[in-house]
Amino acid sequence: MDARRLDLLDPMEVAQLGDLEFQARGVVEGFLAGSHRSPFRGFSVEFAEHRPYQPGDDLRYLDWKGYARADRATIKQFESETNLRAMLLLDTSASMAWSGAPHRLTKLAYAQRLAAALGLVLLSQRDATGLIAFDDAVRVLLPARARTRQRWALLAALSRLVPGHGTAAGQALERVTDLLRRRGLVVLISDLLFDRTLAMRLLQYLRHRGHQVLVFHIMDPAERDLGGPPEARFEDLESRRSVVVRPREFRAAYGAAVEAAIGAWRSACRRNGIGYAHVTTDMPFGVALRHALARRTRLG
Amino acid sequence: MISFLQPLALLALVAAAGPALLHLFQRRVPPVVPFPAVQYLQDAAERHSRRLRLRNLLLLILRTAILLLLVLAAARPVARVPVAGGHAPVALALVVDHSLSSGAVVGGALVLDTLVARARRILNAASTDDRLWIVLADGVPRRASRPEAERVLADLLPVAGRLDLGEAVRAAAHVLQGDGLPGRVIVLSDNQATAWSPGVVSVPVLVWEATAPAVNRGLDSARAIPGIWTGRGRVQAAVGGTGGAAAIRLDVAGSVRARLLASPGDVVELEATLPAGWYAAKVLLDGDELRADDERHVVIRVMPPTPAQVHAGAGPFVSAGVDVLRESGRLAAGTQVTLHDQLGSGTRILLPPTDPALIGTLNRELQARGVRWRFGAEIGGGVPASSVLAFDDASVARRHRIEGGEEGVVATVGGTPWIVRAGDVVLVGSRLEPDWTDLPTAAAFLPFLDALINQVAAADAWVVEAWPGARVQLPEGGVRLAGDPNAIAVSGDGVVTAPAAAGVWLAVRGADTVGALVVNADARESPLTPAPARALRAALGPDVRVSDQVSVAEVFATGVARADLTVWLLGLALLMVTIEFVVAARVGRSTGGS
Repeated sequence: MDARRLDLLDPMEVAQLGDLEFQARGVVEGFLAGSHRSPFRGFSVEFAEHRPYQPGDDLRYLDWKGYARADRATIKQFESETNLRAMLLLDTSASMAWSGAPHRLTKLAYAQRLAAALGLVLLSQRDATGLIAFDDAVRVLLPARARTRQRWALLAALSRLVPGHGTAAGQALERVTDLLRRRGLVVLISDLLFDRTLAMRLLQYLRHRGHQVLVFHIMDPAERDLGGPPEARFEDLESRRSVVVRPREFRAAYGAAVEAAIGAWRSACRRNGIGYAHVTTDMPFGVALRHALARRTRLG
Repeated sequence: MISFLQPLALLALVAAAGPALLHLFQRRVPPVVPFPAVQYLQDAAERHSRRLRLRNLLLLILRTAILLLLVLAAARPVARVPVAGGHAPVALALVVDHSLSSGAVVGGALVLDTLVARARRILNAASTDDRLWIVLADGVPRRASRPEAERVLADLLPVAGRLDLGEAVRAAAHVLQGDGLPGRVIVLSDNQATAWSPGVVSVPVLVWEATAPAVNRGLDSARAIPGIWTGRGRVQAAVGGTGGAAAIRLDVAGSVRARLLASPGDVVELEATLPAGWYAAKVLLDGDELRADDERHVVIRVMPPTPAQVHAGAGPFVSAGVDVLRESGRLAAGTQVTLHDQLGSGTRILLPPTDPALIGTLNRELQARGVRWRFGAEIGGGVPASSVLAFDDASVARRHRIEGGEEGVVATVGGTPWIVRAGDVVLVGSRLEPDWTDLPTAAAFLPFLDALINQVAAADAWVVEAWPGARVQLPEGGVRLAGDPNAIAVSGDGVVTAPAAAGVWLAVRGADTVGALVVNADARESPLTPAPARALRAALGPDVRVSDQVSVAEVFATGVARADLTVWLLGLALLMVTIEFVVAARVGRSTGGS
């Protein structure tokens, strides 16, 4: 493996290194190597089993006595921790298949790699992890499992994703509520170009059911800083709605509108105890994962 | 008032349409750009498009204004701006029109008095730094100090002459241009339309118009018919102008000899009988507001019947005609004038001989006598024309070419000499018989024969008509022009300046009267219709103003200040550019800031 830390490389560079599994593993290893404790841990304190120490694991759970006896570092795991069920919700709508520059990944490609890395982190902790990919309907459904083969199934499902059409986040979230009977973790990775009110209502519902919810808001940098020809008809990839503007004249107004939307998502999530991370596609995956970790830690 | 030093630059004003045209041409179909976050763009457009439209309109107006200002600046505009506390030095040319028409009476006062009063007001307002020029009826600009100008005005009277205001203004403009100060020509005149000749003037002209009489009758012309009377004759007079009928009379030496009633447009004849001699007569029209054109001088010369004889070679028609004229007292029996087809002593009226073979002999005799004219080959006929003789509708069928000489042509046919006079010999190109000309059978024959003998052959005097003050060439020099009040000596070349007053001057050599100079006012002074301002601008140029209400301050406005507006316009354009820059930068930077 490359000696460099893939979690801190430019996402486009990471995407050029091997297959999705290779990229995800590289990112996760780099990410875990830079952490002082495991990013996700369970809710319970009832001991279940030992597992080998991994860099980044919280030293509070290191079995010091075992280490003294066998000179081997192990981490104590608790019952509920092994029962964490995580579901990754990935938006594959047409708007996700867009990149503002040739040297950047599309939002979907970025989201694929981010989801793969998250999945590997979760599965490495033996958390049951599943996947729902949706556009205007649920296209892929991989139930949450903690078994070893789940890793390959998850990566294979992510590798096969293709851009869809419109966005129907509500349907995907409703499906999650059916699938996650026990409390668990829901991670939504999307550009959030859909009805915020409806989506927030469903996310609130998940919160009421006791789930932890984490939202990755994926944007291309060109979506924050408007550019283009002196005058252009900007056409929506999903609805085909269009508007003619001169980017030079509208750059500031557009920027304000984008910031307002981001702010609205952020504050809505905060009000409802939902973790929110704004991620741009030029952001190294490790940084994005740390954002997510920070949000989840705050949520407890 | 604003004028432009480089008016051609104004053609570039079409460039002001540039921003608007660019705006229109830029309205092409924009390229389609796929973009996922259109909903944010729509939010921004809804909130800011109205403000953007206003700013774009403001930018369009600013850019158009910048172009307009730059083009106007390139045209070098200048404006006259008042200066507080008097006026800056100015060069003024006062054209005081004291021509004949200034003698008209309006409201009980002479027009000239009004003009002089206005001129004095201008002089009173002039400062010692101003330069003054006075132009009078002779049209010559003269530099004058203020006291000198006032003295000139004090002595000013209406003259019988005409002033060409167009020429006077151009002469004044010429001297002003070399004066170094801002200049203006002030025309104090009744502004007769007939007084303006066209020609562009390069300095501002202000015509301070005085009111003229609404109607005016005048005598356009008067002349004796025939030019030399034999006892009885007529004076033909043409009445011009406007108005009703008036009495017209012929005054000879203070005695009215004929009287008629005539209206403007009439041509009347006043008959009189006078003994032999020279008479300085006047045709008089009842007076109106302009008296100077109500009289016209005319010279009448009355001679006794000329003793004449006819040789058979002149033909039977000539012989019969002379007999009739003798019987009627128009001719006397005698040998002063002989009508013949051969040359001999004494005054001869020479007709071509019947036999063409005799032409050569006759021509040699003419040459021997010092006459340069001779009979040439026989040529075709035509219609005769003469200023002395009348032919009515008679025509010439045959004639000999009369050639060799240059002076003394009395009548022509087809533009070539037909009757000529050389000393005491009169050559006629055709025999006065029906197969040469139908004149002998026409009613005009006897008056023609009368004039040919009494005026062409027997008379050797001249009459020259002239306008007051005009330079004229008399037929002979070394004579004395006797008239009232002074006699005028004429140099040997015969060139003389006509007196400024109308009248008759008889040319006297020794004890003999050899001719007369008749001086009358120019008939173009009679029509008093003022020239419209538009016509004057068309004739003289755009910088001409006509008004009967002028303030003295306006007169000196020329020199008050002639400000070059170019710098101001450029400064304004720079300010506009700055504003445009700020607005454009705000559009690009902070459209959505609030």
